[in-house]
Amino acid sequence: MAEQILVLGVGNILLRDEGVGVRVVERLTEGYRFSTNVTLLDGGTLGLRLLDPITQADRLIVVDAVQWGGEPGTLYRLQADDLNRRLTFKNSIHQLDLVETLAYADMLGCRPEALVVGIEPADISPWGLELTPKIAAALDRLVAAVLAEIEAAGGSFTALPEPLDPGPRAPTDQVPL
Amino acid sequence: MAQRIIVDPITRIEGHLRIEVEVANGKVSNAWSSSTLFRGLELILQGRDPRDAWLITQRACGVCTYVHGLSSVRCVDDAVHVTIPENARLIRNLLMGVQFLHDHLVHFYHLHALDWVDVVSALKADPAKASKIANQVSPAGNSGTSDFKAVQARLRKFVDSGQLGIFTNGYWGHPAYKLPPEVNLIATAHYLEALRQQARTARMHAVFGGKNPHVQSLVVGGVTCAADLNPDRISEFLYLHKETKAFVDNVYIPDLLAVAGFYKDWGAIGGTSNFLCYGEFPQQGKEPDSLFLPRGAIFKREVAKVQGVDVAKISEHVKHSWYEGDQAKNPAQGETRPAFTKMDTNDRYSWMKAPRYNGEPMEVGPLARVLVAYGKGHGPTKKAVDGVLKKLNIPVTALFSTLGRTAARAIETQIIADAMDGWIMELVENLKSGNDKTFTPYEMPEESTGVGLNDVPRGALGHWVEVKGKKIHNYQLVVPSTWNLGPRCGADKPGPVEQALIGTPIADPKRPLEILRTVHSFDPCIACGVHVIDPASNEVYKFRVS
Repeated sequence: MAEQILVLGVGNILLRDEGVGVRVVERLTEGYRFSTNVTLLDGGTLGLRLLDPITQADRLIVVDAVQWGGEPGTLYRLQADDLNRRLTFKNSIHQLDLVETLAYADMLGCRPEALVVGIEPADISPWGLELTPKIAAALDRLVAAVLAEIEAAGGSFTALPEPLDPGPRAPTDQVPL
Repeated sequence: MAQRIIVDPITRIEGHLRIEVEVANGKVSNAWSSSTLFRGLELILQGRDPRDAWLITQRACGVCTYVHGLSSVRCVDDAVHVTIPENARLIRNLLMGVQFLHDHLVHFYHLHALDWVDVVSALKADPAKASKIANQVSPAGNSGTSDFKAVQARLRKFVDSGQLGIFTNGYWGHPAYKLPPEVNLIATAHYLEALRQQARTARMHAVFGGKNPHVQSLVVGGVTCAADLNPDRISEFLYLHKETKAFVDNVYIPDLLAVAGFYKDWGAIGGTSNFLCYGEFPQQGKEPDSLFLPRGAIFKREVAKVQGVDVAKISEHVKHSWYEGDQAKNPAQGETRPAFTKMDTNDRYSWMKAPRYNGEPMEVGPLARVLVAYGKGHGPTKKAVDGVLKKLNIPVTALFSTLGRTAARAIETQIIADAMDGWIMELVENLKSGNDKTFTPYEMPEESTGVGLNDVPRGALGHWVEVKGKKIHNYQLVVPSTWNLGPRCGADKPGPVEQALIGTPIADPKRPLEILRTVHSFDPCIACGVHVIDPASNEVYKFRVS
């Protein structure tokens, strides 16, 4: 059986660039079809709730904003050893950081091989649902980097045509779909 | 001369919490609870479509996502005057029930147990003896000598590798740990089993919620998971529920009783005086009378005199918080105008506001719910509480404590798990009779106000919305951890955690384990109460004794 790959976008979408991981997963979901061994997951702010999907994966690709001191928009590729050093890796509002969640997976005897594809954020202060222009402009590069990692891990994909405009929103007296 | 201890941040919680205490003669003589992150979620909601509020509020936190979603939907339901269909009520209750089961399991085993269980001592245990004890306490499986040997071997690996992971920052060997090595080993084994179980319990949210985390099936007027109301999905939910319930009955409750038996002195430490709950799980009929867990307020520990709740009596104080002015306001007129000065426990020292009810600090959460239900003669609660008191051989007054708070959480987990069986069957009966309605149409009024009162795992949660021109004009949240962990109020009365800490014995000021016990017993989760001001801090753990 092919190795199961979990692409986990994490972060808080209310804090502008902090939510970039979730935005990448949205882009991948809307724009591509993947082989059946690839799962995309909007993880929100990482916590124990994500242990179930994480322990079911062989390979874990986390997409996240990472403060590592580079210019905003700089891409990073971090592997397990880098993560264990903690450094500037997330310690904002997450219940557990990735290192701890992986330690839990280890305790259960099913820790996937993990790497982080990260980007240096420009602004993660409250509040805003939109990415900053700098990071929005870097999103294509980040998506491409994640796609390359998916391919390297044994997943495949095809790009979908641009989606149709969904049109205006349904009024409140109609049953929502 | 009193000694000051500062624990900042408190680990094993969501969000940043700083606790400062003064210790004199081996006991805490004064305490200040401070949240060092700024809150202001309200600001992002203004001007938006009220139908979208829940999708945004549920992102406030990675743990309590559903509870903010539900509270928000309920407050907008209220603003548009819609009555949701029976099936929608049941689905919302079931998803809320899952939230309780999941949160309470994780809290007991993964956020709180290590305050009572010394994992390193478990390495010294005799696995055969542990097996014998485990089989006396509970019919749960995986309790043979070889099972415990395997757990010890795994634990040894973590300790030897120097990568204790989640077990770092522990005060292992602290004199306040009282469990024998064998009980420590049993608890550690169940810590690992609970890790597996919580992962499966979390799946229940995905059955009717579309996905987990961040369920997608709520909507103002009902729920959208109409396509999931079929025998396959319901039996999937039922199966996961039975499994979770068995864990609660056969592992969680027996563990609580076994551990509590060694810590009965904590039945006199960490108590507060006043309790508030909005109640939860609407049944058929009018609220609040129809709520499965009743609404009520208790003052001065008078459990026999439960009073009704009037939201007009709620005010939020800012005299000791980093906000403009010092006027207390009702949340319906609430404002969020940050004004940071400096950390000064004599003046302003927290980003949290201080909510008060009738001018009094109120503890919210499992203990408040259990006491109100007990005082109102709620059948299942009375039976469960009396059972636990009898088994531990402690008086009712021991409930006003850290031990009582932790026991109440386990007790209500069992009560809710039992009730969920009934709700699933109600849903099945509705569908069998051809009632598959999940949504009630409504019209968005030009101007309106709404309030959503909920009791969520951590306590009373209120959302308030004001609609103008069919858009959100103002939005306020008063979250459970603000009630419990907020600072002093306009009248300088300490908040519940501040009060609870006073009198706590401190064996070793350099390793203040006892403070963590009481603070963790409230299950603090303050990501929604406040927000980031210093995300770049590398400090994982810091504490200062002066």
